[in-house]
Amino acid sequence: MSTATIETATPVAHEEHAHEHHHDLPWYRKYVFSTDHKVIAKQFMLSSLFFLFIGGAFALFIRWQLAYPGKPVPVIGSILPATWVTEPGSGIITPEFYTQLLTMHGSIMIFFVIIPFAAGMFGNFCIPLMIGTDDMALPRLNMWSFWLVPPAGLIMLAGFFTDTGYAAAGWTSYPPLSAMTGLEKFTISGQTLWLISVFLVGFSSIMGAVNYVTTVLNKRAKGMKLFDMPLTVWALFITAILVTLGTPVLAAGLAMLFMDNFLHTSFFLPDNLVTSSKYFGGGQPILFQHVFWFYSHPAVYIMILPLMGIVSDVMATFSRKPIYGYKAMVFAIAGIAFLGFIVWGHHMFQSGMNPLLGTTFMLSTIVIAVPSSIKVFNWLGTLWRGNIKFSTAMLNALAFVSMFIIGGLSGVFMASAPVDIYIHDTYFIVAHIHYVLFGGSLFGIFAGIYYWYPKMYGKMLNERWGRLHFVLTFITFNVTFFPMHVLGLGGHMRRIYDPNVYDFLKGLSDVNEVITIGAIGLGFAQLILVFNVLYSLKNGKRAPRNPWRANTLEWAAPEHPGHGNFDRDITVYRGPYEYSVEGRKSDYWPQWEPGASKTVHHHTVAVEDDSRSFGSH
Amino acid sequence: MDRILSYFDMLPWFPENTSTFGGELDSLFAIIYWISVGIFFLTFGILGYFLVKYRYRHDRRGYNYHGNNVVELTWTVLPTILFAWIGLYSDDIWERTKYSSRLPQADVQVLVMGKTFGWQFLYPGADGEFGRNAYTDRDNCRKLITGLNPFGIDSTDPRSMDDFTTENQFKVPVNANVVMHGSSQDVLHSFFLPHARVKQDVVPGTWMNIWYNIFKTGKFELACAELCGGGHYSMRAEYEVLSKSSYDAWVDKKVAEAIAARSPQPTVAPSADTATVASLTK
Repeated sequence: MSTATIETATPVAHEEHAHEHHHDLPWYRKYVFSTDHKVIAKQFMLSSLFFLFIGGAFALFIRWQLAYPGKPVPVIGSILPATWVTEPGSGIITPEFYTQLLTMHGSIMIFFVIIPFAAGMFGNFCIPLMIGTDDMALPRLNMWSFWLVPPAGLIMLAGFFTDTGYAAAGWTSYPPLSAMTGLEKFTISGQTLWLISVFLVGFSSIMGAVNYVTTVLNKRAKGMKLFDMPLTVWALFITAILVTLGTPVLAAGLAMLFMDNFLHTSFFLPDNLVTSSKYFGGGQPILFQHVFWFYSHPAVYIMILPLMGIVSDVMATFSRKPIYGYKAMVFAIAGIAFLGFIVWGHHMFQSGMNPLLGTTFMLSTIVIAVPSSIKVFNWLGTLWRGNIKFSTAMLNALAFVSMFIIGGLSGVFMASAPVDIYIHDTYFIVAHIHYVLFGGSLFGIFAGIYYWYPKMYGKMLNERWGRLHFVLTFITFNVTFFPMHVLGLGGHMRRIYDPNVYDFLKGLSDVNEVITIGAIGLGFAQLILVFNVLYSLKNGKRAPRNPWRANTLEWAAPEHPGHGNFDRDITVYRGPYEYSVEGRKSDYWPQWEPGASKTVHHHTVAVEDDSRSFGSH
Repeated sequence: MDRILSYFDMLPWFPENTSTFGGELDSLFAIIYWISVGIFFLTFGILGYFLVKYRYRHDRRGYNYHGNNVVELTWTVLPTILFAWIGLYSDDIWERTKYSSRLPQADVQVLVMGKTFGWQFLYPGADGEFGRNAYTDRDNCRKLITGLNPFGIDSTDPRSMDDFTTENQFKVPVNANVVMHGSSQDVLHSFFLPHARVKQDVVPGTWMNIWYNIFKTGKFELACAELCGGGHYSMRAEYEVLSKSSYDAWVDKKVAEAIAARSPQPTVAPSADTATVASLTK
C-alpha cells in the first residue's frame, strides 16, 4: 500500500513529531527556519507578495516610458539613481536602464512571484493538508527550498550595485547579447548575478518538487486512492514531475552561459564576431534557445497547472457540484504536461531553426489546444445546474477561466507558424503571456488565497475588500492588457524603448497611453489585497473549521492547525467532489465522513446500508 | 450584422500589406481570428448564461452529476478536428514561405548584416553575382570580417569590384523576387519588414534565407525585432520599393560610385570594368 497515516507512522516519527510539537522550540525554529509546511507556505506567500510589488514597480516604469517617451517619471523622477536616468535629476530613464527594467520585470514575476506562489506556496500548504497527513515527507529539504528564494532574489537585485547594472538581456537571456559582455574574466556583472540567482531558484524548485512527488506517493491518508485526490493535488503532483524533469536542463544551460560570462568559454559564441570582447569562437547561439525553452516552455505549465487545479476545487465548492469529468480533468492535466515537453520550438519559429522543425513544433503545439479546451468545457460543465455562490474566491476563479479562454485563443495565433511570422516579438505575444500569467495564474492565486486564508491564519479575509479588489483588478487588467493585442497587430515590437522612432507606430500612441493608465490603476489596486491580508490577520472574523462547507481533507483540520495538522485520525471514504448527493440532507459530503453510496447513471446516491462498497465514481 | 461584426474587427489595425504572401498570412490570421471570436462568444455566452441561471438560491441544490463520456469524447474530438485543420492549413503556407527548398528563383539577391545598432546591405552589383565574401566563400572569407568590412569581402576577386554596400537603407524593385541572406556581426537581431509581413532572426555565424516579393512602390521601414541592447529601439532602416527602371538606374549609380571608390587599387583596369557594367545593365 502506498498510503500512510498518522497512526501508522513509526513510533520514532511519533516521538520526533511530539517533540517538535512542544513549545520548547526556539522562536527562529518556529517562524524563520521552520520545517512546518504551513509556515513555509506563508513564507512563500509573503516573499512572493514582496517581489510582486518590486516586479510591478519595474513594470510601471516600462509603461511610463512607452506612453510618454522621453518625459520625466512623475513624482519620484527627481530622486531616481543617477545610473537610471539620462542626467542626474532629469527623471528621464535611459535606453540601457529600460532594457534592465524589462529584464528584471520578467525575471522577477516569473521566478520570484508566479512560480513560488503557484508551486511553492500552494504546493506546501495544500498537499499535506489535502491528502490528510501531518507534514511533507522531507521537511528539512522543504525548509531549504524556501530559504534559497530570498537570497536568490537579493542576488538578482544586487545587480544594481555592479558597474553594468541589472541584467539587461531580457528574461530569456539569449546569447550572444547575454554572453558578450566585453568584461574581464571573473567579473561580477548583473548578468552573472542573474544567472546565479535563477540557478538557485531552480534548485529550490527541484527540492520542493522532489518533496511533493514523494509526499503524494507515500503519505496519503488511509483509504485515499490516487483518484480520490482533489485536482489541486493532482495538478501540483504533475507540476512537480515537470519541475524535476525540466529544471536540471535549464540549470545546464545557465551553467554554460555562466561560464561564457565568467570564464570566457564560448558555448554560445560563434567565431569572427565584431566586438570589443576577444573571447569567442566555435559556439552556437541557437543552442541556448533550445536548452532554455526545453525548460521554459514546461515552466509556463508549471505556472498555470497548479492554478487550474485550485480553480477546479474552488469552482466545485462554490457551485455545490462535483467536477464535471474529474478523470478527464486529470488526464487533461497529464496531457498538457506531456505535450509541454515537445512544443518548445514554437518559441523559435523565426529564430533561424530549420523551418522543417517549425512544422513539427507547430503541429504538436496546436494539439495542446485540445486538453486545454477539454478543461474549459469541463469547468463550464461544472457550473451547469450548480447553485453558484459568488464569493471572492469564486469570482477570481471565474476570472481565471474567462481570461484563460482569451489567453488560450490568442495562443492559437502564434501556434500557427505562418501567422507567428508577423506577430512574433510584437506586443501580441506580450498580451498573450499576460492573459495567461496574470489573467490566468494570478487570478488563480488570488482565488487560492481567498479560499485557504481561513485555514492558514484561522481568520476570514474581508469579503467586501476582496470584492473591491477583484472588481478593480478585473477591469484594470483588461484595460491594461487587451489593447496590447492591438499594439501587436499594428506591429509594435516588444522591448523597444521609444515607439515614436517608427512612422508605422505613430498611430498607436493613444493605445499606449490607455494601457499605461490601466497599468497604474492595476498596480494600485493590488494594495487592497495586501491591506486585506495584513488587516485580517488581526481583525478578521474568526474562521470556523469548514467555512465553505467543502469536502476536501484540509477542512477536517482545526481552525488554525498547528504542527502536525490534524487533531483526529483521517480515513478517506470517497472522492473529493461529492456535493449535493441525493439522499443526504446537507449538500456536501466530506471525504472523511463514513457512509455508503452507490452510483446510478453518473450520480452518487447515499445509501443507508453501511455494508455496501464505498466509493463514488 | 456586418455593422455589429465590424465592432469586433481588429484586422484594420494591421499596417497595409505590400507583399505577395502577406495577403495569405493576413487571411490565415483572419480565419483564426473569426474562429476565435466565435469560440469566445460561445464560451462566454454559456458562462454568462450559467452564472445567471444557476446563481445561488437558498431553496435549490446543486446537481450531483459526475460527467458523461460521450460528452467528453465529443468535446475532445471536435476541437481536435478543428485545430488539426488549422495546423495542416497553416503548414501549407509555412512551407511555401519559409522552407529553403521552396526559395523562389531570385530576381535580386542582397546580403544583409545586422550590427548593434544598424543594418548593412551588400548588393552584387551589375553582374548580379557576388565576389568572394563571407557568404559565397564562408570558409575563407569569414575571417576577413571586421567593422569596416562586415561582409568579409575579398577585394582581390574581380567579381567583388562592382559589389556595393548601403547602410540603414536599401532599395528593391517592385514585383520581383528579392532573396536576402542575412547574418549578424555581433548579437542576434531580427529582420522585420512590417508591411511586407517578413520577420527572420539573423544569427552571427550563419546565414538565414529571407525572401519576399513586394507589389507596391514606396518608402517603408525596417525594424529590429529581437532585443539587441540599449539601442535596440533605434535599429531602424528605411527601404524603398522602386519601379524596375528606377531601380536599375540606382544600381548603375551605386556601382559607378563603388568602382570609383575602389579605383586606386591596381588589380583590375577600372575603365574596362565600367564598360562591362554599362553593357550589363542595359
